[in-house]
Amino acid sequence: MTSALTLTAPIPATAQESQPRTAVSITGADKVFSLARGKKLQALEAVDLQIDEGEFVAIIGPSGCGKSTVLRLAAGLDTPTHGTVEIFGDTPRTLSAQHRLGVAFQEHALLPWASVRENIALPYKVAGRKVDDARVDGLIELVGLVGFEKARPKQLSGGMRQRVSIARALVLSPDLLLLDEPFGALDAVTRRKMNSELARIWAEERITTILVTHDVDEALILADRVIVMSGRPGRVRTSVDVDFARPRTGAHTRSPEFHTLVDELTALLDAPEGT
Amino acid sequence: MNATIRPSTKIAYAVGGALLLVVLAQLIGQFELAGKSWPPLTEVLAYASSLTGASLIWRNLLVTLSAAAQGFVLGTAVAVIGATMALVVPLLRPGLDRFAAILNAVPTIALAPLLITTAGREGTPAVIAALSVGFVMFVSMTSGFANTSPAHQDLLTVFGSSRMRRLTLLELPRAVPAFFDGLALAAPAAILGATIGEWFGAPQGIGLLLVSAMQNYQMALMWSAALAATVVSLFAYLAFVQIQRMAVRRFA
Repeated sequence: MTSALTLTAPIPATAQESQPRTAVSITGADKVFSLARGKKLQALEAVDLQIDEGEFVAIIGPSGCGKSTVLRLAAGLDTPTHGTVEIFGDTPRTLSAQHRLGVAFQEHALLPWASVRENIALPYKVAGRKVDDARVDGLIELVGLVGFEKARPKQLSGGMRQRVSIARALVLSPDLLLLDEPFGALDAVTRRKMNSELARIWAEERITTILVTHDVDEALILADRVIVMSGRPGRVRTSVDVDFARPRTGAHTRSPEFHTLVDELTALLDAPEGT
Repeated sequence: MNATIRPSTKIAYAVGGALLLVVLAQLIGQFELAGKSWPPLTEVLAYASSLTGASLIWRNLLVTLSAAAQGFVLGTAVAVIGATMALVVPLLRPGLDRFAAILNAVPTIALAPLLITTAGREGTPAVIAALSVGFVMFVSMTSGFANTSPAHQDLLTVFGSSRMRRLTLLELPRAVPAFFDGLALAAPAAILGATIGEWFGAPQGIGLLLVSAMQNYQMALMWSAALAATVVSLFAYLAFVQIQRMAVRRFA
């Protein structure tokens, strides 16, 4: 499908301080999967989503609500049945062809035969560019894997593998970072540790980011805005701005305001359909 | 079941089984239970280690091995290229799959006259070896390529990989263990293929030795030749299994 090459997303100016550029614009996106024997599954219904440049947006929702499908649309791995997906005014495919997308999945998807260093340098090879050793070294340091450059994925812990995966996503300084439950397979303690590390890394790079998660705390620790989705078919239920100052330390996460918001969002996840 | 068996027990089983087979072969020959065409093993070994026997078998074994090696390389190269083509150009996939299956289904005997007229009597053993190797390698490589995980494929898609880079950065390295898996199976197949190819009038080789020994009722020679081919096949298999294990450790 060729999404209409309209002007660069004529978004009405939202009531925000300045007027940042729109990074991601998903409008009226339906996604229907054809199953066996002519059955159809509607994964998404009329999803509208606008994300500004430099914004960190978390998408939360019950499992099977289509939040990963939204991410796959943004990544160009799926196309919407109806509606359009534009990233910086272009199709996601265009963006990935220009090597401007970064991605990290729940399954770390590291190459088992390659070392940490080689895995992080992979996007350079995919793009056919010369590996920038200084950049790779910098990221290895940033994600705290100095001394493990030559290790292979199977020699690393789950948390370390995810750090490699995130470093790999960041290495080309992408314009859009897509994170699909990157810490979903980790234990609670490692997960929180990785959350604060990601917050620190993000503070340095400030890349427009979409994080898909089912962990409300994680969303609130990391995001500027939380999108709550409801399931079957997946719809955007509400969008909540998160105004806690950064860096969000333990003091923040223990605060009553934080807990109130956690409870509020958790209630939205649990509540039956119909807003 | 295997997990509960200790390594020492496993070795004991292997040695015991081999010993049983050797003793059985010896006894059948000794008491002529299978007629005169089954000589005792000691007689076969005595012939194989005699000066005339050993040099005859050695000379012909080298010819067979050379044909097998040529077929091995040729079959592997063609199969890897074919499987890669089937992967990169999906349009070719069904055709190549069926072509490989049909080629494998045609009995060697039926192909022999065709091969003798095209590849010649001396070339036929290598071609038949290549055919046997080719099918095994094609199937191994195809399944090795099919083995890439969707997450890896998605990753390269999002990073904007070209088809060629997807092949060189993901699919080929991923298929390395399957490649060596295939080689371990293909090595004995190459030796068997070359030996059979020599039946159709090759001037030298283990296959020729087998045919002429059978026709002249030289049972000790026939069994020695068969034994030599078997031992070499077995060693080729074991050698490639070792390499395959290394490849799995490195790539998986």
